Amino acid sequence: MRIARIFPGLLALSCVGFAHAQSMFRGDPAHSGTYPGQAPRQFHRVKWKFPTGGRVISSSVVQDQALYFGGDDGNIFAVDAETGRQIWKRATGGPASSTPAVANGIVYAGSYDGKFYALNAQTGAVQWKFTTGGERRFEAKGIHGLEPKNQTMADQYDVFLSSPVVVQNAVYFGSGDGNLYALDATSGELKWKFKTGDVVHSSPAYADGVLYFGSWDSYFYAVDAATGKEKWRFHGGEDPLIHNQVGFQSSAAVADGVVYVGCRDSNLYALEASTGKEKWRFNNQGSWVISSPALSQGKVYFATSDSSLYHVVDAATGNSVLKQQDKAYMFSSPSIAGDVVLIGVLNGTLQARDLKSGDALWNFQTETSKQNRGWVLTADRKFNEPMVFYSSWREAPIVGTDRQFNIGAIFSSPLVVNGVVYFGSTDGNLYAVE
Amino acid sequence: MRLLAVIFLFSAALSHAAENASGRWEGSAQISGEELKLIVDLAEESGKGWIGSIIVPGFGVKGAQLVDLHVRSSDLAFAIKGALGNERAGKAELKAHLTADGHLAGDFTQGGNSAPFVLEKIGPPQVELPPRSTPVSKELEGEWKGQYELNGYARQVTMKFANREGNAASLEFVIVGKKVNNVPVSLLTQEGDFLTIKSDEFGMTYEGHFRKEAGEIKGTIVQGPFEQPLVMRRGAATAP
Repeated sequence: MRIARIFPGLLALSCVGFAHAQSMFRGDPAHSGTYPGQAPRQFHRVKWKFPTGGRVISSSVVQDQALYFGGDDGNIFAVDAETGRQIWKRATGGPASSTPAVANGIVYAGSYDGKFYALNAQTGAVQWKFTTGGERRFEAKGIHGLEPKNQTMADQYDVFLSSPVVVQNAVYFGSGDGNLYALDATSGELKWKFKTGDVVHSSPAYADGVLYFGSWDSYFYAVDAATGKEKWRFHGGEDPLIHNQVGFQSSAAVADGVVYVGCRDSNLYALEASTGKEKWRFNNQGSWVISSPALSQGKVYFATSDSSLYHVVDAATGNSVLKQQDKAYMFSSPSIAGDVVLIGVLNGTLQARDLKSGDALWNFQTETSKQNRGWVLTADRKFNEPMVFYSSWREAPIVGTDRQFNIGAIFSSPLVVNGVVYFGSTDGNLYAVE
Repeated sequence: MRLLAVIFLFSAALSHAAENASGRWEGSAQISGEELKLIVDLAEESGKGWIGSIIVPGFGVKGAQLVDLHVRSSDLAFAIKGALGNERAGKAELKAHLTADGHLAGDFTQGGNSAPFVLEKIGPPQVELPPRSTPVSKELEGEWKGQYELNGYARQVTMKFANREGNAASLEFVIVGKKVNNVPVSLLTQEGDFLTIKSDEFGMTYEGHFRKEAGEIKGTIVQGPFEQPLVMRRGAATAP
């Protein structure tokens, strides 16, 4: 009863069918991050792993026993969920760090080549391609305190590409060219585009005819899905000095007239969906909220970067319900299946927690993380910063971040299907564990 | 009788080797203290001989074709096509033998460097076949012309498609600028109305939609950082 009162939308979503509910980023157009079925409460084994030629930043989605995901080796993959064998792959011209969406037999995904692809879900054949104004990462002079401070540098933490959402024969996605695009899902024709002031790599959430998304221009937008007209915008924090505490990288989740979104200004915001008015904010003292929140039973689940905290807050008030200290940054978005919450950690572990208590149930560590080349991690799996970030000059911090990420980091949001958990790692594998 | 026995034993040994070599192999080469992970798929296809592909995580190599593939008794050798090599460095090559304990051990050679590797069989082979050219629809057969600009100069393009019975279509692809370029085509596919033409030698790709109602192929030609719209029509070339 309490569930229905607080999140009536979730009940409706649970009735739309197994496959549909897991065929786009965060499970559904409103990005609840809640999946049908039960995730394992104990770790038994790696069912299979599927190797690719590059990092797997993308999350996977499922339709008709086929998993779809992008690889930073430039391919979009279809893999048999049961056997882990490749069904097809389709090369794009750049890293495919976007989570695909599947609808009506078509797979939609973006790539760093600046193209947006629509592929036949069964064969991978190109249905159409749409050319955006080009991809790029967020960039700024002296970003994160990098030296020389007058040098414009790309943000090494801008890892995800916008993941599409498909609703009523329209596909919506953001782009490094600063636009949110709406395309006809069948033909790929442009319906409209909405210009923001900077890179849009968050995924738009959809509810009641409105799209909600953030940009690196420090604004969070609500846009009419039919017309592309702005309904409102909300201003997050600014950081003109080192551009560290600015921008929306997190994708929003929407339920019961409220939009929840994390921000690099270290807040998790709850905004009124109809007006953009702030209901509450949960501040994380400088620690980014890149993770996209999950919503279940009147609570909001999310994680932070530097402070490495797993949080559960009350959806109505923003008051803390519980917090747990983890060991490393979390960019991955928590996924809820039954009474288990799953989240990836950048130290190369997948954490499973009890939904109610937050207690750790099990964790899986990638082999690359166990090997701990170059002592990127301390013995207790925290980032070994003196060994990674020994200089703020020129390329040193970029190389340091690259070494961090190469530890088998898990950026992807876990997908749960029939008790099996699917997630990607920077070690190049898509894993299926049960 | 003795000769027959020898032949039988020899062929049995070869068959055993083949059985052993076939599979998905995973391991790494040790390159000056760094680990290069390798996943090799090898399979013997009846009538076609050995086929294989390789995955090199972190190097963008997924399912690259193995060429010059030789399996003889317990010795294997192959090279990687289109990855980890170029004109200057040559092809990356692997030479290995099946060890008594069931591993595949040998040397990985690239750019004149060599490093030992050991692979372990982890399952049945999952060889990726390279994309193959396809026939084209009847409406595409014949000559198409188009034009694009590069550095302020017009380039005239002619494409002549022909189907060959039971085989992939052929394509004469000519670009005329300051000189006449006969573009060698390495891949030509038609999937529905989507046409893909690749030239590995020129590093060039043309992708376009065949629009039957408009009598045109509307697409884009890409060569490195250069990307231009290119519309192909029957008859004389017109600017896009």
